[in-house]
Amino acid sequence: MPMNQGASTRPIRVLVAKPGLDGHDRGALIVAQGLRDAGMEVVYTGLRQTPEQIVAAAIQEDVDCIGLSSLSGAHMALFPAVMEALGKEGATDILVIGGGVIPADDARALQELGIAAVFTPGSTIAQMADYIRLHVRGHVSSAPFTPPEQIDHVGLAVTSIDQARALYTDFLGYSLVGFEDLPEQKIRVAFVETGATRLELIEPTHDDSSVARFIDKRGQGLHHIAYRVDDVAAWLMRAREAGLRLIDEQPRKGAHGTQVAFVHPQSTNGVLLEFCQVESIDQQ
Amino acid sequence: MQARHSERKAEFATSSGIPIERVYGPESALTIEEAVDKLGEPGQFPYTRGIQPTMYRGRLWTMRQYAGFGSATQTNARFRYLLEQGQTGLSTAFDLPTQIGYDADHPFARGEVGKVGVSISSLRDMETLFSGIPLDQVSTSMTINAPASVLLAMYIAVGEKQGVPMAKLSGTIQNDILKEYVARGTYIYPPQASMRLITDIFSFCAQNLPSFNTISISGYHMREAGSTAVQEVAFTLANARAYVDAALAAGLAVDDFAPRLSFFFNAHNQFFEEIAKFRAARRMWARIMRDTYGAQNPKSWQLRFHTQTGGSTLTAQQPDNNIVRVTVQALAAALGGTQSLHTNSRDEALALPTEESARIALRTQQIIAFESGAADVVDPLGGSYYVEALTDAIEQEALAYMEIIASLGGAVTAVEQGYMQREIQRAAYETQLRIERQEDIVIGVNSYALEHEPEPELLRVGPELEQEACARLADVRASRDQEAVDAALKALHTAASGDDNLMPPIIEAVRTYATLGEICDVMRAVFGEYRPV
Repeated sequence: MPMNQGASTRPIRVLVAKPGLDGHDRGALIVAQGLRDAGMEVVYTGLRQTPEQIVAAAIQEDVDCIGLSSLSGAHMALFPAVMEALGKEGATDILVIGGGVIPADDARALQELGIAAVFTPGSTIAQMADYIRLHVRGHVSSAPFTPPEQIDHVGLAVTSIDQARALYTDFLGYSLVGFEDLPEQKIRVAFVETGATRLELIEPTHDDSSVARFIDKRGQGLHHIAYRVDDVAAWLMRAREAGLRLIDEQPRKGAHGTQVAFVHPQSTNGVLLEFCQVESIDQQ
Repeated sequence: MQARHSERKAEFATSSGIPIERVYGPESALTIEEAVDKLGEPGQFPYTRGIQPTMYRGRLWTMRQYAGFGSATQTNARFRYLLEQGQTGLSTAFDLPTQIGYDADHPFARGEVGKVGVSISSLRDMETLFSGIPLDQVSTSMTINAPASVLLAMYIAVGEKQGVPMAKLSGTIQNDILKEYVARGTYIYPPQASMRLITDIFSFCAQNLPSFNTISISGYHMREAGSTAVQEVAFTLANARAYVDAALAAGLAVDDFAPRLSFFFNAHNQFFEEIAKFRAARRMWARIMRDTYGAQNPKSWQLRFHTQTGGSTLTAQQPDNNIVRVTVQALAAALGGTQSLHTNSRDEALALPTEESARIALRTQQIIAFESGAADVVDPLGGSYYVEALTDAIEQEALAYMEIIASLGGAVTAVEQGYMQREIQRAAYETQLRIERQEDIVIGVNSYALEHEPEPELLRVGPELEQEACARLADVRASRDQEAVDAALKALHTAASGDDNLMPPIIEAVRTYATLGEICDVMRAVFGEYRPV
């Protein structure tokens, strides 16, 4: 992944732990696997760990982050006990996050006790991985990175692909490929194959699509520039660190099996910016 | 651009990955011979259409809401409330220390007392739990596994105090340890010792508690842990075979214990796949029991099951939407022929249900039972081209899984090797990735989310409960006849070290008010404790 390429730092190490007697470890196992797939080294403690055992394991494994999971309602007793044990061992620089069935007011109380963040049902692996990358000690913001490979495509908003196509096919002589309906975004797209960088023609299929509103406000024309990257999640994190205004908090599905995410034109000199990753997450 | 017949997706498939055709027609219909062989009549082998000839026209399914939290006094009040509201059976949730054989004052119990169920440390708590509830008039299900024999002994002792003889007690203990190693995590002893405790219960109950279900072989928790519908059927029936094998090896006759085996399945969102799953499981079990084990009593062939709607399908976001999910799932259970049903409450992804949420959940199944007409006819989807094709497909794929497990040496070995655990974990991770890629849509979570979620009213169990439970326990320890306790625990130790049935010495020990933790510690000393692979 680009954020760590060439960095001399080792991968982030995470201890996923199940304090108490709770046997529900579906979430803990998924998070452990997901963080591994996101490039981190993950140790899973297994069930029924005391707070003292968890802290001892964290120190022995020299982790950067502890992820605590509890679905039994014992979090208000056990998570603070982990923080206390960390304090006793002088290991408070380890980032501690939690997850499970945790009501919102409990989550706020835990954050006051030093649990950095609480991820409840519906959270994604990408959100957790981003959070950890951003908040562990010596996090990667200063690490070297590779710029996007190239401009993947330039998006052009048109009122009708059928009306616009003549310019690109009959006049310029390119071919039009990859027609696709994206009903969720209420648009239809097609690509003009020009060589390395393509043009994406975007046609609204409904009056209330954001592209229809774009055309109403600004007329047809340049809609966005998409940069081809090999890890959208990592770039989103980098954008967040840089203080850019994100439209997507996490990667989502784009046309033709891509993973994409958009950054708001307000923070990108007026032109909507897209990160576009060609292979899907599970192939990484 | 042939848009005329375009479809939303390139391929449609069930949650188990079974491909779904556009439409099913007469070409996939059963012939008359096949229909006799695969379906039979309701109430007849192989019971695909249901285990009774009349099904819900005779008697509705038992509406059995799982409940329990805090102290025995609090749960007793919730039980009485549910009975007043028309519930027809009790279902007891125990807290984690109880489920793992620790008293409320054990250091490992810290923070867990009364949280996910009621805290029971001694017979005194059990007496309070069933106070004012005559045990000869209710059937009680207890979600208890590793220490099932101890809680059953306490139930028997409460019955004695109420003047109800053992033979009149009815209910179910979950007592399914194999799925604890696979998915749920409340194991204590290693597998072999656990299997002995289970067969001791089978044997004791065959003689003394003829109306008690001695086990509820559970796919529910494996499904919650992330298995597919096919895996749920396959792993449950593979575990069931292991219990039958263990009982036969212990010298029991199949028709003496098999009629009291019961099952527990999940009901998730994919409506038709779930209905087909229940029908396939019934057919598979009937054939296994009659053809593989040579059971003669038709009761041994009948797969009787409890259903609970899918906890892991509930969302913390927009929790009222969960009422709709539960409705779909509960209807699938009814159309699949369940014998009893728990409908989840809308707020269970956030906390234990409030009284209002628990009532809506119960009302949901009452509406299905009394208003929808679904209970007025047996197996209404039988003969549906699609449902029969799905039933066949689930059976075929589940049988293939069961063959793999048999080739590993059976379910006990497969569990010890972590086979099922790995299969489930893989399926769970794939599900998560599909949700994150928005290939699976979860309303209110990865689609149609709200920017600001209101915070609903939640039930809270306070920390003072732990101190109260410890104080009660100290009182029990101070007021009992310690010599009798010591003698009973010593007798239990001797029995555990030999081959005697453990139920009589455990009953004797609970009568002396020996605590759950003390009794389990005696067996820990003899059997050791399980450490996962």
